[in-house]
Amino acid sequence: MSLSKHAKSYLINQSKYAHLNAFVSRVEPSVLLARTGSSRLTSEGEDGRLVLNDKPIAIKDNICTKDFKTTASSGILRDFTSPYDATVVKLLQDAGAVVAGKTNMDEFGMGSHSTHSYHGPVKMQRYEDEEASAGGSSGGSALAVASAQCWAALGTDTGGSVRLPAAYTGVVGFKPSYGLLSRWGVIAYANSLDTVGILGTSATSVEAIFDQLNLYDPQDPTSLPPSTRSRLGSKARASDSVRIGIPLDYNITTLHPIVRNAWVRTLKALHERGHTLHPVRLPATQRALSAYYVLAPAEASSNLAKYDGVRYGSRAEGIDGTPDSVLFAKTRGQGFGPEVQRRILLGAFSLSAQAIDNYFIQAQKVRRLVQQDFNKVFATQNPLLDETTHAEETEEKVDVLLCPTAPSLAPSLSDVKAQDPIQAYMNDVFTVPASLAGLPAISVPVPIAGKDRTKENEEFSVGIQIIGQYGDDKLVLDFAKELEVAAPCPHAGIKIDTAEEVSRRS
Amino acid sequence: MLARSTRNTFIAAPGRPYICQTCLRRARRSQLGPAHPPTRTAIRSLQTKSQPPPQDDTPFRKLLKDAAKQQKKYNGGASSVLKTQNKGQDPRLEKWELTIGIEVHAELNTARKLFSSAATSVSEAPNTHVALFDTAFPGSQPNFQKESLIPALRAAIAFQCQIQRKSSFDRKHYFYQDQPSGYQITQYYEPFATDGKLTLYPHDFPPGAAPESGPFDIGIKQIQMEQDTAKTIQQPPSTHLLDFNRVSHPLIEIITLPQIHDPVVAAVVVRKIQTILKSINACTAGMELGGLRADINVSVRERNGQQSDAVHSYHGVTGLGQRTEIKNLASVKAVEDAIVAERDRQIEILENGGVIEGETRGWTLGSKSTKRLRGKEGEIDYRYMPDPDIPPVIIGQDLVDHLKETLPKLPDRNVETLVLEYGLTTKDALTLLFLDDGERLDYFIQVMEPLVEETSLQEEEDIPKSTLGKMAGNWVLMELGSLLKDEPWDANRVPYKFLASIISHVRRKQITSRSGKRILAMKFEGDERPVEDIVDQESLHLRPLSREEYVALAQSLLDEKPNMVKDIIEKGQSKKIKWFVGQMMARGAAGSVEADTAEETLKEQLRLKE
Repeated sequence: MSLSKHAKSYLINQSKYAHLNAFVSRVEPSVLLARTGSSRLTSEGEDGRLVLNDKPIAIKDNICTKDFKTTASSGILRDFTSPYDATVVKLLQDAGAVVAGKTNMDEFGMGSHSTHSYHGPVKMQRYEDEEASAGGSSGGSALAVASAQCWAALGTDTGGSVRLPAAYTGVVGFKPSYGLLSRWGVIAYANSLDTVGILGTSATSVEAIFDQLNLYDPQDPTSLPPSTRSRLGSKARASDSVRIGIPLDYNITTLHPIVRNAWVRTLKALHERGHTLHPVRLPATQRALSAYYVLAPAEASSNLAKYDGVRYGSRAEGIDGTPDSVLFAKTRGQGFGPEVQRRILLGAFSLSAQAIDNYFIQAQKVRRLVQQDFNKVFATQNPLLDETTHAEETEEKVDVLLCPTAPSLAPSLSDVKAQDPIQAYMNDVFTVPASLAGLPAISVPVPIAGKDRTKENEEFSVGIQIIGQYGDDKLVLDFAKELEVAAPCPHAGIKIDTAEEVSRRS
Repeated sequence: MLARSTRNTFIAAPGRPYICQTCLRRARRSQLGPAHPPTRTAIRSLQTKSQPPPQDDTPFRKLLKDAAKQQKKYNGGASSVLKTQNKGQDPRLEKWELTIGIEVHAELNTARKLFSSAATSVSEAPNTHVALFDTAFPGSQPNFQKESLIPALRAAIAFQCQIQRKSSFDRKHYFYQDQPSGYQITQYYEPFATDGKLTLYPHDFPPGAAPESGPFDIGIKQIQMEQDTAKTIQQPPSTHLLDFNRVSHPLIEIITLPQIHDPVVAAVVVRKIQTILKSINACTAGMELGGLRADINVSVRERNGQQSDAVHSYHGVTGLGQRTEIKNLASVKAVEDAIVAERDRQIEILENGGVIEGETRGWTLGSKSTKRLRGKEGEIDYRYMPDPDIPPVIIGQDLVDHLKETLPKLPDRNVETLVLEYGLTTKDALTLLFLDDGERLDYFIQVMEPLVEETSLQEEEDIPKSTLGKMAGNWVLMELGSLLKDEPWDANRVPYKFLASIISHVRRKQITSRSGKRILAMKFEGDERPVEDIVDQESLHLRPLSREEYVALAQSLLDEKPNMVKDIIEKGQSKKIKWFVGQMMARGAAGSVEADTAEETLKEQLRLKE
């Protein structure tokens, strides 16, 4: 099928699903069509063809682009256009990709349902009248991929913001090891956790993008230098059989039965394909979520201090500030949404002189314990640690961990509305530990187990998460492909026309 | 003269890469670098009209002007500090002991900003040297410029600090429009240098003001690196313009231990820190130019230890009274005056049974008291957080060793050399060190070379170097200085060999000192001829008068002014003899009257000789 037909199908879906509110700005159709038309002449049949040639890729709206506004779904940046492209955007364009548009999200990445947006909530609709959560904060990116409005999308994952929406919308969502993908041009929420993530319909397409972006960037001080990169994932594995860890601490009471059953069924399927299963303990997990919701808001309160409407961004109408206060109290009060304000206040408190020891410092200690938990169960040593810090080989070690991405399926937006903030934070319980430890993790859709299948949910899927040791990104991606074979999910995504179907009809 | 060299610093600073050859040469040349701002030159620099014209209407500019005015008064005499101290000695000071800690912020002399590759600048067009990160653009990240460590480490070495192998950066949060990211990046938890000291010598003080006869140390708790803020330019009534050129200019903050008990010592500490930073080429500009700012912590306690409030501990120094902080002092004078005012205010409160509030206070030049800015309840909680984007700084011992070896000579060593070897007074030595960015000192050393060489060629080794040094010092500082007036220093105006030749002629009594000055003035005004030709052509050879001629000339003058003679003989106003000496030299044919002989003759005639 010709490239321009692909492009057309994406464009058709973009207008067909505009009501899902996945995009906050879209590429001009003529640009996309012109690109596919011209490059077909020059690139087709040539060996030097670019990997992502003319593929439309959506970009989460907290990643800076020169050609589109970058609002981070915040009122304070509602008219902001960045003077530069983020490194990841540049690399995608260098590889031939076309930016399909900017996707809706929770303001500055703070949220789990993509409802805290200046542009209004993202709405997932798999059947008539449904209004479900697409997950967050990269809900727009996930839904854009699920509804075939683009080939793939970039998101950001601070505590699960790529994996959770991937699980809810039924696509593949990958958060690489911290420090592999450049954050230059990615609007910071919590720097020590923020990771650029990739959403696609398969592990293969996600990997194709990852390979283009996995480069050292001197502009990002947290980008892993080449010397360290060369040490990652270099250890050759003895056999094709993968040792799968089952974290018992993730089998929580609030785990939805459909999710639990899909997990068990997936494990069985993998076992049948020759992989071995090993129960492991990650005891610090229970504290991980609390630690995350201390650390991330603390960094956020600091990172968001820059939005004052003085140098860029929006200012409140009229006079702001009094002789006794700074000039932007009103601007910040009006520009930030309620969830962002809540987290700024949380963070300001946990960093305050009276609270820092009990909150911020304690949370950092928990973070260290979470990392140690992971290091204890992985067969591969954490390449960032010295040999001596490695724990003794007292128990069975594993190659990857396999667990659900989220405790439940996508809730309805009305349920989400009824939740208090703490309940909303609970959605991140399985994704946060890997974020705290900076580990690679991917959410892959698997079908709902046969016994749980009903007429309504038969085409829904459950997100299963694969977590690997730091730097084992290739292993995680390879095993995601294996998972796709072991537990194929033909109906991944929501029940809408895929790009292929659209183009078949046209 | 100072103004010009200051401008040069401005011009040279932005483009100057850190370890370029020019830089190294400069650093070597200023080995005998500048030292204390002697009051005399300060007056000149601040009065001169060739100061860079104010480019904006900032309050800081105004502050500088005020400082200039104040400085003029202040410098009425070099020892005014001392005088005020003694005159106004408050008897309450017997009872109360003052304790001061100082934090000095100095702009480092670097080519680039601390966290971006944008160039540093001082007087460039506003907002022309700004990187994305400097203005906190969304998605931008810090990029630590390793080169800024070099001047920072030099400072740490000069203050004998322990250099930490590992240090890190933290965010200090507060909202203000000159702080684009809403926080300042500083080193709070792990500074790069700790436990240093500053040694004060009697020569650091105005004559007679040194509190101890020998040298003593003031402990330096730590030195940290941090970012500067943007500059707010106020345009009354309600416009604030922001210039981000200065944002993220690297600063060091030097924190002393609270071991200072005297406002004069505090002022000397600040001045000496400034001097050392300049001499090791670590700092861009002097305090009066905004390159250096000081915050001071002031507390008082009862000397006999009865006061129950003296339970506070700052930086490990215990048993102190409640302190207050006075922020943003922009001159040495302000530091001293603010301390005196705050000390007196605290004593007044305590004497009346009151309690000192821990608060932040301000001081404006010329005012009599400090002003409350905010109390403890209004105190900013800076919410220090390690910066998650900036990796720790690891400093290798090899770098420290190299910088130690190449550190320019410190001013204390230079003063010693000039006084002991070259026979200068400490005051003149300090003046030489300070003038014209050290260029005058270079010139002095150059002038000395042919003079010393000549004595050895002429087999006059018995003439000590110190005698030559005294003469040369006088010509370089006084005679040349009086010609320069407001003009910028230029070593080529009177080439050093030319001046050496004049001095040599005078020393060997080939011309009178008066003729020497005349030749100097001619050269200064552009006369192209060598000294010998001028002496020949202007008939300046010393043609000594006979003793009779001296007596006749002296007597005729004394006869003309009987009243003055009376004053000298009856009232003992012996200084008036000098007037007669001057008259004799003026009336004698050019270059024929020597001052010494004239004075001797006059004294004989007046029967003043024993």
